[in-house]
Amino acid sequence: MGHPAILFGFLGFSIFLIAVFVFRPGVTKSQGGKIVAFFVLFALPLLCLGMGFSAEMDRSKSTQFCLSCHIMESYGKSLRVDDTFHLAAAHFQNHRVPADEACYTCHTNYAMFGGVKAKMGGLRHIYVYYLGHAPKPEDIKLYEPFNNRECLHCHQGARSFEEGAVHIADPSLLPAIKSNKVSCLSSGCHQTIHDVATLGEQKFWQGVQNAQ
Amino acid sequence: MLSKDLLEKRLQIAGTVLILGLLTEGFCLLGRGPIAFLLFVGLAGLLLSLGILIFLLALVRAGHGKSHSTE
Repeated sequence: MGHPAILFGFLGFSIFLIAVFVFRPGVTKSQGGKIVAFFVLFALPLLCLGMGFSAEMDRSKSTQFCLSCHIMESYGKSLRVDDTFHLAAAHFQNHRVPADEACYTCHTNYAMFGGVKAKMGGLRHIYVYYLGHAPKPEDIKLYEPFNNRECLHCHQGARSFEEGAVHIADPSLLPAIKSNKVSCLSSGCHQTIHDVATLGEQKFWQGVQNAQ
Repeated sequence: MLSKDLLEKRLQIAGTVLILGLLTEGFCLLGRGPIAFLLFVGLAGLLLSLGILIFLLALVRAGHGKSHSTE
């Protein structure tokens, strides 16, 4: 949602204009003053609210936002596991998902209201975290089984998926995966996702220093 | 500080509430976590909505007052 400086500048400008009407309300005596008052006291605050809301919604998709809650610390750590079989780590470290929106990219169902449902779920998480009884990190479960659609959104049509040796060994496997009858995350397949319970036994990738 | 004229006084109150809402919005945008988001939606949104409502009510009541005085 644009540069933050522009948003703050706009907020400051709005505050200044509203302050003019607070300290000099007599401006509204004239016809022109009334029209300007309408824009300054109605349209401008609405615009500021909309812009701010958009900025906040964008920020709430960021990896940093998701990991800002203490309970997510181990999930954040799992993104740096030095093991190519750890699905989340492999995707994050190789930028197969945007690194700055890694959590949101996978944990949002697609289709029209996927993003809305993700946000409503986020509000519920905040409620549970601050007012309810938060589970242990390793006890956190998805609300519903991970839909293959979230994987196929990127992988369908890709050579490594369509012609992967394991995928084509059984002719019925690919159609079953594409119709969500067999999960990509099935035991024996891509079953290691975050695996926070075994973090103590893992090595970690520290990241690239001074990446440009 | 508040004007003696009723409409102007209501506009001043609306403007003050709006300024408080915008300041709250600014502070929330500086924050990082979900608390800032909740404060933005809950407090800043509420103050801004209240300020706009006060302004609109001031307009409606001013128009209503004028129509009574002309009868």
